[in-house]
Amino acid sequence: MERLSAQQRSKIRRLSEPKELAPDEEGGELNIVPFLDIITNVLMFVLATVSVTFTATLDTFPPRAGGAGARAPTTPTLGLTVILVNEGFSVKARGGNVAPGCNDVGPGLAVPKGQIDGKPDYDYPQLNACVKKLKNASDEFKGETTVTISASPNIPYQAIISTMDAVRKNDDNGEDLFPDVNFGLAR
Amino acid sequence: MTAPPNDPNAPFNPPPRQKPASMAVYKRELRREIRRKKTEPEINFLNITAMMDMMTIILVFLLKSMSAQSASLPQSADLTIPKSIVTTEASQEGVAVLISKSQIVVDDNPVVPVPSNPTQGVEGKYKRSGPNDLYIVPLANTLQTWRDRDKQVRAATGKDPSSSEAIVIADQNTPYRLLVEVLFTLGQTEFSKFHLMVLQGAKK
Repeated sequence: MERLSAQQRSKIRRLSEPKELAPDEEGGELNIVPFLDIITNVLMFVLATVSVTFTATLDTFPPRAGGAGARAPTTPTLGLTVILVNEGFSVKARGGNVAPGCNDVGPGLAVPKGQIDGKPDYDYPQLNACVKKLKNASDEFKGETTVTISASPNIPYQAIISTMDAVRKNDDNGEDLFPDVNFGLAR
Repeated sequence: MTAPPNDPNAPFNPPPRQKPASMAVYKRELRREIRRKKTEPEINFLNITAMMDMMTIILVFLLKSMSAQSASLPQSADLTIPKSIVTTEASQEGVAVLISKSQIVVDDNPVVPVPSNPTQGVEGKYKRSGPNDLYIVPLANTLQTWRDRDKQVRAATGKDPSSSEAIVIADQNTPYRLLVEVLFTLGQTEFSKFHLMVLQGAKK
């Protein structure tokens, strides 16, 4: 086999050295690392200062002064009214007062206050169960979605909102019960 | 006879020069050597352009959704919004009526002060016919101005001009009487739909 001479070996060594790229021949990437640092800091400050409050709105209609001028319904309606008083919920349906236990018509509060976390408070699960029972009492009430909510003058707004939540959906299966709320005026 | 090895008088006899290899062998060796010494180029900069594009889009969406949902609600001791289980999108349509512990505000303008014990609503002197009335006159005047303007806007934009909408932002301890007075006054000034602002995330 032919052997390379010393000159040839030297030349091969010289020519085979990898070439150093000139600065202007390198890949033209912009160094944006400092920019990224700034953006990250700004982003963290923005996120920390913006108070995230996830809000929603409940749609309602103007209060009705009840009764006068209203036409008598042609089909039986439930006409559910929930009144918040200091002792609990008074529920009226089909023009009569619902008795305690939500099984019959009679005097008394349908859902009195219960002991919630060791102190007396409105029993929203019981109210939900009560309106569910009233809605399922007859097939004619199935399509009814309107409830009138009224309250004593001193009842706080949070209790009104929680009552609207309690009558809106069936807690068990998520079905709509009475999502349309009218506010009533105590006369 | 050969000269002794250390003889200074011996003639200089260089080693025989090696004959160079042929050009084909030389080139083959050169190619092999270049291939052997070839190194992968070092990556000096990570290409994060695609990630930056993605981050920018996410950031824009994040800021947009935050601004839509926060709705510039001033949460303070004077105004704490009630919590609800609803998770629907907050409506942004209508005049903002704010009922705090100290005053009723329409579109950032204080209209009527709220008394320290508001279970009978605002003071009688602000109502049309005394303490038992529900119609709050200064509030109605302000709302009427807003309503007149909104009526024209609605007519111009093809919406139903017969009524307007209102966003009611009330403190969680606002008594029902005061709430009803505000809602009644809104109804009297041709506002037919109210959006009650609540915070999402109440426990069942």
